[in-house]
Amino acid sequence: MRAFNYVAAGDIQQAVRLLAEHGSEAKILAGGTDLLADLKSSPHPPRMVIDISRTQGLGGIEVTDKGLRIGALVTHTEIMKSSVIQEHFPALVDAAHTIGAVQTRNLGTLGGNLVTAVPSMDSGPTLMALDAWVVLAGNSGNRQMPLTEFFKGPRRTALKPDELLMEIVIPAENIGKPVNFLKSGLRKGQALALVNAAGSLWLDAKGRIREPRIALGAVAPTVIRAPNAEKCLAGQVPTPEIMVEAGKIAAEECKPITDFRASATYRKEIVEVLVKRVLMHAHAQALKK
Amino acid sequence: MDIRLTVNGSQHALSVPPETTLLGLLRNQLGHTGAKLGCDVGDCGACTVIVDGKPVNACLMLAGQADGREILTIEGLASREQLHPIQRAFEEHASLQCGFCGPGVILSAKALLDENPDPSRQEVRDGLAGNLCRCTGYTKMIDAVLHAARVMRNETDHSGAKVEG
Repeated sequence: MRAFNYVAAGDIQQAVRLLAEHGSEAKILAGGTDLLADLKSSPHPPRMVIDISRTQGLGGIEVTDKGLRIGALVTHTEIMKSSVIQEHFPALVDAAHTIGAVQTRNLGTLGGNLVTAVPSMDSGPTLMALDAWVVLAGNSGNRQMPLTEFFKGPRRTALKPDELLMEIVIPAENIGKPVNFLKSGLRKGQALALVNAAGSLWLDAKGRIREPRIALGAVAPTVIRAPNAEKCLAGQVPTPEIMVEAGKIAAEECKPITDFRASATYRKEIVEVLVKRVLMHAHAQALKK
Repeated sequence: MDIRLTVNGSQHALSVPPETTLLGLLRNQLGHTGAKLGCDVGDCGACTVIVDGKPVNACLMLAGQADGREILTIEGLASREQLHPIQRAFEEHASLQCGFCGPGVILSAKALLDENPDPSRQEVRDGLAGNLCRCTGYTKMIDAVLHAARVMRNETDHSGAKVEG
């Protein structure tokens, strides 16, 4: 690894001040599972690494009046072990479990997974299907935005050079919303998603689908929603046929690439199947409530 | 930068350049070459060590991030008198061939059994999913971990005989 300067930020204010000072010369280090691999191969490594892995105020999982707050530094292992998340969102546990393997889940953080913003990330779809938003800390104060606006492209986010992802919030009205996550990879461990998908829905008093959400990974430059598929579900009686139809529409509205892992055609076929399945699982959860 | 950490029960105070990984520190500064440099990007698990009770890829952690922490490497597992039950089970099940992945696999198994003394076969597979082995096909490793778990629960001895209550 090439030489760089290193500073461990004690608190969020210090971290954003250092970011403002060093601008694009600086990189944030949290879990390190992406950054260290990048630093070893990058032709233009940063001059300054700002370590936030022990920075105060970026951890913790708790229910507040705004919703379920997950600190950016929460690791995938912590998500899997959180009793609050196990109770309200088993799909987030499932998604965390598909990331890397034990060693990388112990280091890697939810915030890091979102900020790295690779299209095949496994944290994004479930959060997006739950209308999660992110809170960014900056030198001129905090701002928040929906996760859908946070992702700008492969490895690109809405973060300004002096901003830091502070926390992720699932809005209070969606706590306990039935949601399911599925991933298709070439292996169970240490595999990037060929496609991943999350679906959530409520059932109204008449048993019809309310606020359906479908989010897909690895089939577009960022994690995306499938709005046309959602429209076909809204207000409908949840039948297997309508879920099959939603899968077909979702496959049409995503734009996967062909690479050495899978062809675009194959990815679209998986989208069709995964969307149907996440909807069926979410529906089954809704019936139990 | 200055770092203080505990490795296998011994305290160390060292000064290393910031770009030093925990793996580099263990192997080059402290001479603990049990953790291996494999892929160097967190895919293979050959560098697995236990930091504050959790298995991690030492290639993905900066030495600075290990400041103040407690590290267990494969060198700290056996005593002079006897192997750790997991090591002994690996020996008896002929679970390793070339052995390069062994330190990482055994530490992953140790972390798993510390947390879950009675894992299912699937849980063992999941616990070892971050360790690649190109020799064995994993089956004998999984057998050994399950056997070691029984030994550690005092349900059997290393020969596989039942322990009399």
